Amino acid sequence: MIELTLKKQLLSSSGEFTLDAQFNVAAGEFITLFGPSGAGKTTLLRCLAGLAEPDAGRIVVGGETWFDGAAHHSLPPQQRRVGYMFQDYALFPNMSVRGNLEFAQPRGADKRRVSELIELMALGEMQQRKPATLSGGQQQRVALARALAAEPRLLLLDEPFSALDHATRVRLHEEVLAMQRRYGLTTVMVSHDVGEVYRLSQRVLLLEQGKLVQQGTPAEVFGVGHAGGKFSFAGEVLAIEAADVVFAVTLLVGNQIVRVIATADEAQRLKPGDRVMLLSKAFNPVLVAC
Amino acid sequence: MNSLPGIITAIESNEHLSLVDVLVGQDSFTAMLLETPQSAPHLKVGNRVAVLFKETEVSLAKNLSGLLSLRNRIKATVRSIRHGEILSEVVLDHHGQTVTSIITSRAVKRLELQQGDEVEALVKANEVSLMEADNEL
Repeated sequence: MIELTLKKQLLSSSGEFTLDAQFNVAAGEFITLFGPSGAGKTTLLRCLAGLAEPDAGRIVVGGETWFDGAAHHSLPPQQRRVGYMFQDYALFPNMSVRGNLEFAQPRGADKRRVSELIELMALGEMQQRKPATLSGGQQQRVALARALAAEPRLLLLDEPFSALDHATRVRLHEEVLAMQRRYGLTTVMVSHDVGEVYRLSQRVLLLEQGKLVQQGTPAEVFGVGHAGGKFSFAGEVLAIEAADVVFAVTLLVGNQIVRVIATADEAQRLKPGDRVMLLSKAFNPVLVAC
Repeated sequence: MNSLPGIITAIESNEHLSLVDVLVGQDSFTAMLLETPQSAPHLKVGNRVAVLFKETEVSLAKNLSGLLSLRNRIKATVRSIRHGEILSEVVLDHHGQTVTSIITSRAVKRLELQQGDEVEALVKANEVSLMEADNEL
């Protein structure tokens, strides 16, 4: 579906470097570009969308050449039919939800697609409202619907959910997956959220300083195989309180606060601010749906 | 964390799970792990490991008889008891090694535990971790 080879000189806070990437994406595949900030991920998306131009290379999508450096050919963004979704919605504030969707449709497109999207994504109640009256999660759902209304051949997602709370994000993940499957959309996402990458993508490309350093399934790239039979989490000791002959130690793990029991011996060797590893056997944790 | 030095004597495993026997002094310990020799290369017969288990996972029995599914039964002598309101810490001596158990003060009372008592410490195999002997916890 996508065959991409490109080079582009980039400037980052740590100096100049070359974005030098080559990869293919199969039709209907969902891939994620993962890596540190300033690695060139967003630039890659912009090159696909036609919003940035590579210095050299070739981008062929579905047999059509979108960019060819050697031939000085670059298809304008509006002819690429790309659905692009950013972190900050970028909805038209003066148009209703339905208006935003209709405006995004290609000329002469079937209006029924907008109605279908409004129904599929349960936007009916808010279709006449202006974006400013919607919550962040709702605006982002509209942004997704608008990207789909364009009948894109390619869906590009640039950290689309990073500004949302966890519950809203998870709901939107389901929605994105459902839509992506329904329309068989080839999708390229940029994300820093490992959970998100794991749930959504079939393949992860790890990008560092403009180079593709690793690729594989999320399980391969994030190394589930190495975690083995023990859980280990890095944490920070917040408080140690005597609780009878044992001590209750309060820890910050990720952005969750947990308390565990330590013996007097263990507690004696800890003080608030210490970094610790929290280990547990795989047999102990109980899983409860929430 | 209780930690006893030992040597792996046998490993029984399937695709995901391993049952590992470790000789500690004269006694055999068993650990149930969600690891296999393939995923964890230190699981090898003859390797030195530390047998680890949390104090709160150690149950105590006195005059125990009958059949028991538990694999890890450590005969030991009560060296000291620290009584708390809800929980108590019972320090045991097992051939010169220290094993600590934290159980309810109610249980200490019910078992009439006293210094010098002969008891058996019981630990389920799936509460036991193994760590390469060179690594310090």
